[in-house]
Amino acid sequence: MDDLSIAIAGLRTAIVTRDREVPELIRDRYKGFVSAGTPAWRLEIDVRPAGSRRADDDVLVSREGAYARYTVSRGDFAGTVDLRERRATLTLGGANEYSIDSFLRILYSLALVSVHGVIVHAASLVRNGRARLFCGPSGSGKTTLARLSPDAELLSDELSIVRISEGRARCHGTPFWGELARAGTHQAAPLGGIYFLSHGTGHVLNAVTPRQALQRLLPNVLFFAKDADLTARVLGIAAALVEAVPCFDLSFRLDPGFWEVIDRA
Amino acid sequence: MPEHCLARNSRTAWRVYDGEAVILLAEDSTLNTLNAVGTLIWEGADGKTPVSALVSRICEEFDVEPAEAERDVTAFIGKLCQRGLLNVAASPHEVP
Repeated sequence: MDDLSIAIAGLRTAIVTRDREVPELIRDRYKGFVSAGTPAWRLEIDVRPAGSRRADDDVLVSREGAYARYTVSRGDFAGTVDLRERRATLTLGGANEYSIDSFLRILYSLALVSVHGVIVHAASLVRNGRARLFCGPSGSGKTTLARLSPDAELLSDELSIVRISEGRARCHGTPFWGELARAGTHQAAPLGGIYFLSHGTGHVLNAVTPRQALQRLLPNVLFFAKDADLTARVLGIAAALVEAVPCFDLSFRLDPGFWEVIDRA
Repeated sequence: MPEHCLARNSRTAWRVYDGEAVILLAEDSTLNTLNAVGTLIWEGADGKTPVSALVSRICEEFDVEPAEAERDVTAFIGKLCQRGLLNVAASPHEVP
């Protein structure tokens, strides 16, 4: 038995497993997020001999009979998440980091709701002490924008975490990466703005209303459960975010000049 | 239809900004946004208010003829029912 903990966005999870490969794999994949201290969550990982199960199947998340207990399955893994007990289980078809990473994304998307947090399809960068969230689907330019910002600290180029408390939003670094294949730094910073990305021929920033921002933000929130209560809570967190933080449409071209229009706004 | 009552699907979450509703349906996370008239109907879908009362309010607030308002409201209710957002009942007692 070996155990270790990782902390993402202030939520520490103890990883408990009898498998010999998994601890090393996690220490390597989540270095920078491995953390000592009292865990809030416990994740038990079991590894069965690899079969023919596929990692590109759809993820199924469904609520079990009990309130706040979910089952999560994909071709290459099966798991449970119990929000009340703060306990999760994961059975893998083989010890591989992609399966673990996929499950952790789902686990954190569910667990963060109770601490007023959401995972967003967005790059996030810290510059001059403030985080900026650059939001959009695949192909919208998240990784490109991160590459164009060598003087900013990377929180993520793909999946960012925002938590809000008493009207103050903070953006957290995550180990969930995109094309950049590099984890964000393990830090948090006050969120200074949310930017909805599109490619353009220049750098143009237009303020959007909270309603427009909510319409743009919600499709980018990572959320799997079809549960009415959780859906209402996610909407509440997203609404609080767009009310607390200035939001903009950002059309940008492939040079770092977009920072000038952001700084001027 | 005029004396029927409307009820919002309890598996929706919603917010109203500047008189326009943003609605999220739990089943499939689909997002619906309504204009001012649609939002008036949505907010009035409380399981008690008859459709005729909503039509009257629309005529007052948006300067529309009753026959036109009733026709438009009926079509709109049909759309929201199709999307699984609204339920229609013959009386308040029958609202699911």
